[in-house]
Amino acid sequence: MERRQNHHQQPQNLRRNPSSSSSSSSSHSSNHRPRYRPPNRAGGDARPHSREDPYLDSGDAAAGGRPRSLARPMRAHASEAAAGSSIGVRERQEQHRRDQDREDDRDCRELASVVGTCPHMCPVGEMAQRERLRDLAVFERLHGNPAKTSPELAVKKFCRTISTRDVQLLDIRPFSVLGSTLDYLMSLMNSTPEPFETVHDFIFDRTRSIRQDLSMQNIVDKRVIHMYEKMVNFHVTSHHKLRLRSSGPDSFNISSLHHLNMEQLAKVLTSLYNLYDLNRDHSSTHKNEPEYRSLYVLLCLNSESLPEGERLSLWFRRVPTPVIKSKEMSFARRILRYFRTGNYSRFFSTIAAEASYLQYCALEPYIDKVRALAVLCINNGGYKLHPYPIAHLSNLLMMEESEVESFCNACGLETSLDEQGNKVLPTKQPAFEHPKAGYGKYGFSGLENICRGREAEENV
Amino acid sequence: MAAYLSMGEAHRRITDYLARFSDAVASQDVASLKPLLSLSSASPSLVSLADALNLLQDSNRLIKQSDRYSQFAEILAPLFRCLQNYRLHNLVDAYPAYEKAANAFIQEFRNWDSAWALEALYVIAYEIRVLAERADRELSANGKMPEKLKAAGSFLMKVFGVLAGKGPKRVGALYVTCQLFKVYFKLGTVHLCRSVIRSIETARIFDFEEFPQRDKVTYMYYTGRLEVYNENFTAADQKLSYALAHCNPHSEANIRMILKYLIPVKLSIGILPKDWLLERYNLVEYSNIVQALKRGDLRLLRSALEEHEDRFLRSGVYLVLEKLELQVYQRLLKKIYIIQKQKEPTKAHQMKLEVIIKALKWLEIDMDLDEVECIVAILIHKNLMKGYFAHKSKVVVLSKQDPFPKLTGKPVNA
Repeated sequence: MERRQNHHQQPQNLRRNPSSSSSSSSSHSSNHRPRYRPPNRAGGDARPHSREDPYLDSGDAAAGGRPRSLARPMRAHASEAAAGSSIGVRERQEQHRRDQDREDDRDCRELASVVGTCPHMCPVGEMAQRERLRDLAVFERLHGNPAKTSPELAVKKFCRTISTRDVQLLDIRPFSVLGSTLDYLMSLMNSTPEPFETVHDFIFDRTRSIRQDLSMQNIVDKRVIHMYEKMVNFHVTSHHKLRLRSSGPDSFNISSLHHLNMEQLAKVLTSLYNLYDLNRDHSSTHKNEPEYRSLYVLLCLNSESLPEGERLSLWFRRVPTPVIKSKEMSFARRILRYFRTGNYSRFFSTIAAEASYLQYCALEPYIDKVRALAVLCINNGGYKLHPYPIAHLSNLLMMEESEVESFCNACGLETSLDEQGNKVLPTKQPAFEHPKAGYGKYGFSGLENICRGREAEENV
Repeated sequence: MAAYLSMGEAHRRITDYLARFSDAVASQDVASLKPLLSLSSASPSLVSLADALNLLQDSNRLIKQSDRYSQFAEILAPLFRCLQNYRLHNLVDAYPAYEKAANAFIQEFRNWDSAWALEALYVIAYEIRVLAERADRELSANGKMPEKLKAAGSFLMKVFGVLAGKGPKRVGALYVTCQLFKVYFKLGTVHLCRSVIRSIETARIFDFEEFPQRDKVTYMYYTGRLEVYNENFTAADQKLSYALAHCNPHSEANIRMILKYLIPVKLSIGILPKDWLLERYNLVEYSNIVQALKRGDLRLLRSALEEHEDRFLRSGVYLVLEKLELQVYQRLLKKIYIIQKQKEPTKAHQMKLEVIIKALKWLEIDMDLDEVECIVAILIHKNLMKGYFAHKSKVVVLSKQDPFPKLTGKPVNA
């Protein structure tokens, strides 16, 4: 079989076949004004579900609907066609046939790379409009004034319904601006007095807008990987911090924030993995890829995958071998095994010994589940005349003793004292029940070490 | 293009094909129609036709020459373009042309009342998938995003829609479903199988028994695999066993494929295959796992999983096999129990945790008291062992009756 390069001309007007059932196509018109027309989706066709863009998360906007090819230089075919006599009959035949094909080929071969020109974190037009409408987030207000902002404070909002007809280049931030915007947003995580939900909400929305701008400019190369990793960090950390706050009067609101956060996290992770795959050379892995891949496993421990995600058994099929063999993935797989076999002993000790901060945050919701399983097993299988020492349970489950007691109570079990005055859990109590969701928040004894490890990493 | 081909000869070949095509349709002769659409067969007649087309370059004129042919121009013109591209190994352009021809064919197919052309439709469905796969390989090799298989999936859904109605054509729906399964499995978009499965299993127009046997087997194989991934072992056992029972007994490759997934399922419900089965169908990667289960040899299980890790991960059964660990523990403890019974029958039902630790050390596995107690607690919880553990005395006390219940064809309790 011959290997041939696909040389493509840039046709001025691709005719789109409206009865197409295949993926959407795009057109690029050579206007004088640098306008960008995002691709149209092919109507409401018979394609089953799958609204998601498999390659890039565009934050749900209409833009960014199709798989894109790598930004490789496209050689102009025009010169070759013009060279006429030096080309054999065969090449001319192929050219002829290709022209015929292109007429009714609905697929888009390449997209123009558009570069935005907005110099600030927020387009000037939007800034003015939101000042007028007093639609400024608390972080965007100049000296607290709800009607005044500045280029240093305003950040472009995510817009669900972008008019597909035209978006001005002046409204799109180029890559360098997006990078500094993201860094600014990340810096807000730890530096404001506002309650965490407010910070989360703001960063959630504004990072979605960043992804939208990236997608519209079709930026899918290596540079973006680090940005997506930072956004995953944000969502995973929120996963942990929102959980801590989901009790009390605001808990319903926060738990829906938590759920939406999981959804976005799934999208960003998937995009990140696609970026890793797109930008892989020599089947190596990217520097942080093992850790970020391991997060998927830890988020899906109980074999229900992330929303619209894949079952783990299927997901593993497409993970590159070097990632599978990595330390981070090996950790995740062991945790998975301990979870699935119910080995609560190793589950906790391994987390304490090996988890990174991100990994801990990802699997945190399962910690109490495993604790409940442990308490259940001990209560069921323990000898009635040997009540289980709370101190021992505390070591086993990586919890403070006071929290162990409270946890047992949450499971419908009573604790008591033995003759020496030590706290114990009598076994064979009939009333075990799983703690209700959001009942209480328990710590993890090894957490300081894990956090210390994280600080050390960040200082590197 | 090796041998010299005259324009006259090219002309003749093309007209010959056109005549065969229109005659086949006119006389509703599907046996003659099928080979005319079967690109991947690379039959000499199609190859020579493609050469003729590449030489002549203006086949459209020939098609339009006669009403007999021009009525099928929407099918034939793109089909010819496809053949030309295919012959020149340009799969990326061949695929869309074939899809166009296939689309036009379906429009005609819709209008034919009887299901005479169903087998030709099968050929088209098959070719669409295979052509798309090859086109994607070519795209990937050239550093481009593979996208044709995804398009093939959409197209096949359309074909499914055409067949999903009352009337004799509906028996073809299962074949198309199976092609869709293959596409989705290859793409990894397995969740898309759900909607076709729902149609097949709940739509009233379909009666599963009416479908051809071969298609039923393939369908059960794929849906069985889905049940394995979802860890519904009872359903997986049912479906894969059905596929095995109704599979062509001479089709060794197919039997092997079914067994590859059925064995882990059976193992999970406590049923072990015989050694000769594994050897007969070359599934020796499971041999050590079966041994480990028989002997309670945890080390063997772990090493077997490691040795074939890649293979098991790629086929998606690794997680299922990993979970067999609990059954291996059960077997190990049972062996200890049996040995103790032989030495001191009255005390056999008491097992010191230290003894378990020692047994594991023999297998070069290090476990501390906490972990052993944990394993024991889990085995009791999952009803793999009956009894209780005494924390202070570090002892397991087994029930005097049936301390190690068999799984009896049901999966281990969640």
